[in-house]
Amino acid sequence: MASNDQAIDVASYAASVRTALSDLPPDQAEVLLEDLEDHLREIAAEAGGPLAERLGPPEQYAQELRAAYGAAQANGRRQDPALRDIRRSVAWVTGSTWYRQVRAFLPELRPAWWVLRAYLVVLVLTAASSRSYNLRPIPNPFSSRGLLQIIATAIAIVLSIRLGRRDRPLAKGGRLLAIGANIMVALIALPVLASMGTFPSMAMVEAGGGQSVDPQTLFSATGAVTNIYPYSKDGKPLTDILLFDQEGHPLTLSAKIGDLTTDYAIGADGQPITNAYPLQQRHLNGDPVGTPRVALPPWPVTSPTASPSPSLSPSPSPGR
Amino acid sequence: MNQAELDTTQLLKGVLDLAVLAVLADADSYGYDVVRRLREGGLDNVGDASVYGTLRRLYQAGALNSYVVPSDEGPHRKYYGLNNRGRKALDQSAQNWASFSKALNHLLNGRSNGHGK
Repeated sequence: MASNDQAIDVASYAASVRTALSDLPPDQAEVLLEDLEDHLREIAAEAGGPLAERLGPPEQYAQELRAAYGAAQANGRRQDPALRDIRRSVAWVTGSTWYRQVRAFLPELRPAWWVLRAYLVVLVLTAASSRSYNLRPIPNPFSSRGLLQIIATAIAIVLSIRLGRRDRPLAKGGRLLAIGANIMVALIALPVLASMGTFPSMAMVEAGGGQSVDPQTLFSATGAVTNIYPYSKDGKPLTDILLFDQEGHPLTLSAKIGDLTTDYAIGADGQPITNAYPLQQRHLNGDPVGTPRVALPPWPVTSPTASPSPSLSPSPSPGR
Repeated sequence: MNQAELDTTQLLKGVLDLAVLAVLADADSYGYDVVRRLREGGLDNVGDASVYGTLRRLYQAGALNSYVVPSDEGPHRKYYGLNNRGRKALDQSAQNWASFSKALNHLLNGRSNGHGK
């Protein structure tokens, strides 16, 4: 609490000093003021109380700084009037209370940006490495690709934070480069993020082409669905059940999920039939994927005979 | 602000570089610590901004090297130390100061002894 007040005091005091020196050429101001905040923080930490009490008004502090540094006086003599007006407007904004408060708060968001930029970099690289890959905000941990992406993100976050927390400040050129790189990451990530929402989750089996299948991923309680096992009501496993969605499109699962290979039946027209379940799948080592154990629900006792009877009726009838 | 204080301020302006270099010749130091040591050394009126600005200028002029020392609590500190150029500047300035103050003392002594022209 107290330290937060102190941080705001430092940021606000520094902002006032910067405002008072806003007529300096930017490179000169940068050199003069680059560690002003650290310096003021030091004073605030050791002295306690408001900085203005200890150091005098920020404007006076700025004048003293200017004099000691040997910088040009703010007399406006050398300045283009239009330029001066612009600088004054900028100074008016940067001197305002809300700007100072926002500015004082921004550094606290830095660690969040370190994490975010790592995520974005991996996202951009993922998007760049494959066009067809259906990007999601959170990669699917059950696909090898998604898992790779998650691991890469974790590593990138660690590196990014280490980079952000480094002790040695960059030289001026490096600093500009770093700022530029950060902005680049944000700008490049924007279209990637924007395109993420436009990949519809109902992926299409393309109407005419048929070959380019952009399958969808279904999720059950335990994660991505890789296969569907239909059973009849009396518990018989069914095969070659064709599934369609509400639009009448074939319901096709992602063939890439979980390091499995799927052998689709090829139709008479030479096209794979992708929505016949259960899918015939093999592990990477070639072993076929086994049928899962399922627990069949007990049907209501009110119709124990009625429900099986339609299918079973042909067999008992000859015996009668 | 009384007249005497103003005079000290004026005087300081001329010799602050020398004072800062002298403090740093003693030991590498960071901004706030330089201020403290100058004040402990008797320069009570030295302004924080003056010292900070002087350090930045001397650094910019290539008389100081600088490095950041992280601190567990509180902000990281930017330490300054003399490099060769700084040491030369200090020696030169110290000589200038010695002859200047000698001359001035001489003048002042002459006046107080009634030997003025």
